[in-house]
Amino acid sequence: MDKIIFAGPVGAGKTTAIGSISEIPPVGTDVACTDESAQIKEKTTVAMDYSYITLDDGTRIHLYGTPGQDRFDFMWQILAKDGIGLVLLINRDHPDPLHQLGFYLNAFADFIQDTGVVIGLTKSDISDKHDISKFQDFLYERQQIFPVFDVDARSEDDIKVLVHALLAVLNH
Amino acid sequence: MRIINDVIEQISHTNLEQDTQTQEVLAQELDKILDALLTSSEDISAAIISSVDGHSKAQRLEADMDEHRFAAMSSALLALSDNIASEGGKGNTENVLIEGTNGKIFLLHAGPKHLLTVFTHNCGSLGMPLAYAKQATEQIAALMEVLAS
Ligand SMILES: Nc1nc2c(ncn2[C@@H]2O[C@H](COP(=O)(O)OP(=O)(O)O)[C@@H](O)[C@H]2O)c(=O)[nH]1
Ligand SMILES: [Mg+2]
Repeated sequence: MDKIIFAGPVGAGKTTAIGSISEIPPVGTDVACTDESAQIKEKTTVAMDYSYITLDDGTRIHLYGTPGQDRFDFMWQILAKDGIGLVLLINRDHPDPLHQLGFYLNAFADFIQDTGVVIGLTKSDISDKHDISKFQDFLYERQQIFPVFDVDARSEDDIKVLVHALLAVLNH
Repeated sequence: MRIINDVIEQISHTNLEQDTQTQEVLAQELDKILDALLTSSEDISAAIISSVDGHSKAQRLEADMDEHRFAAMSSALLALSDNIASEGGKGNTENVLIEGTNGKIFLLHAGPKHLLTVFTHNCGSLGMPLAYAKQATEQIAALMEVLAS
């Protein structure tokens, strides 16, 4: 089973991205926020998002979205098991997205090592706070040269580009 | 409903604007509910009240059980159960039962934003612990409603 994991911080657009490319109504586990993240958004994912897409050659790719908060890191382990690659979404509109990028790259370091990753900078449609080159420089310094894309998580085309880029990386 | 009357009594003396005080009253009342639950049945060994998004609100867990992990795991499990129940045409989740080799665990909703996870010893019948747990969820739900109003 080909399974891709979507990870990244709260509000980066993981649930939105999976919904954008999904062929079926996605399985969602969003519940009411009762903490300070309620200021960012009303609902948050507590177990997973699930959906799938079918490639032109008929291969079905299963998509699993993770909860963003690290109190749910046990779900990261569960969902990443047997995954073939990672789509890491980072909210470009955040005050310190590089810190977030570093955090999730570290958290998924083993998984990335075994598989592969592409990075999507979401909310690029509403924010130009941080230039994409900052992210590329950051990765270069870490000696982690991964593909980075500007995306709008609501755009089917943008998220398809990410998924296809990941599959291309994995086939190398 | 004695507990609820206590709360109404207490918060009427408190300035509701003072959120921290409300939180303290809430924590005390939740502790009382858990204490009552644990003394109601010898079969119940531990319990935790958490929010639907996975924060611990009150707990009577064993020393080596991390409340933050159990709160988060409980919310994840119950959220998935709700999906299975509703997509399977079975309505809402009344409870989730985990039958472990060394005891049983059940999870229940406690009003719209909270849940209760109860751990039992390897007891024979689940009836009484479940009934007491259900009662506790009603108390939690009523308490939250009072505090939200
Ligand atoms: N404008 C814009 N809004 C986005 C984008 N990605 C996510 N959002 C919005 O941000 C909010 C949080 O998205 P969500 O998918 O729940 O984030 P998650 O926590 O990563 O699952 C939602 O209101 C989305 O509509 C994006 O690329 N552009
Ligand atoms: Mg989400």
